[in-house]
Amino acid sequence: MRAVVIGAHRHRDDIDGDAVAIPLADLFLSGVEIAPQQPVSERELLLRVAGIRAQLLARATFVAIRYGFVLTNESEAMTKCGAQVDRWRRLLDEHRNEVELTLKVAAAAPLPRPNRTDFANGAGYLRALHAATQGAAIDESFRAAVDAQLVPLANDHRWIHRDNASMELALLVARERVEEVNAAGAKLKSFDVPFLLSGPWPLEVFVDDHE
Amino acid sequence: MADNDEELSLLETLDHLLDRGVVISGEAVISIGDVDLLYLGLNIVLANVDAIIRTANKR
Repeated sequence: MRAVVIGAHRHRDDIDGDAVAIPLADLFLSGVEIAPQQPVSERELLLRVAGIRAQLLARATFVAIRYGFVLTNESEAMTKCGAQVDRWRRLLDEHRNEVELTLKVAAAAPLPRPNRTDFANGAGYLRALHAATQGAAIDESFRAAVDAQLVPLANDHRWIHRDNASMELALLVARERVEEVNAAGAKLKSFDVPFLLSGPWPLEVFVDDHE
Repeated sequence: MADNDEELSLLETLDHLLDRGVVISGEAVISIGDVDLLYLGLNIVLANVDAIIRTANKR
């Protein structure tokens, strides 16, 4: 068995279709089986995993695991994820009826991305990259509108500095309110600010207590 | 316009797949396109430099 892991799920029945279920204590990991020598970086595999990820989310909310984690046998699941079981169980029980939505907003005046060749060492480059990311700011009136119209529809939210040219708002939303959030997002088009409201997504941001 | 929307949606989907969610210890090293990918031992399987900075800041 060799599988690219997609997420952690509360119940066996939450995993169906083209995904395999890998037991993890009383939870289950979902995965896509691949051949022993198949490279994880293949474009077709990426797209396949993305499609199955969306199918799984339609069944039930799960904890998203970043692409690239591969299991070669079932016992590895406990070895590598056992420490997370209690936390994931709590999150899955707490957020079973919720999904994430993401609002990506273009920065009002994007800071230039540092050029690696301008730096003598990697540490200096990373520091400059971090400064550029943290310095990105969006139009204040747009942010005020988002805070007034979108945020109240969510159960939780986080503004995140993700790169030098944008900011991102992660929203934790009850499944039955997703359309309401999308409708509120459509009204933001009256602003002359480029943005993208996307989702639903599994638990990606709100699995992290430290954000 | 429909093609643009579709492409945007695909890019966003791949962005979430590659740059969100829980990072599990692993041993894989992969590279995709011209994204700067780094292998950091047992802590990060796949990450671009932005993701690494965010991870470092959380510690």
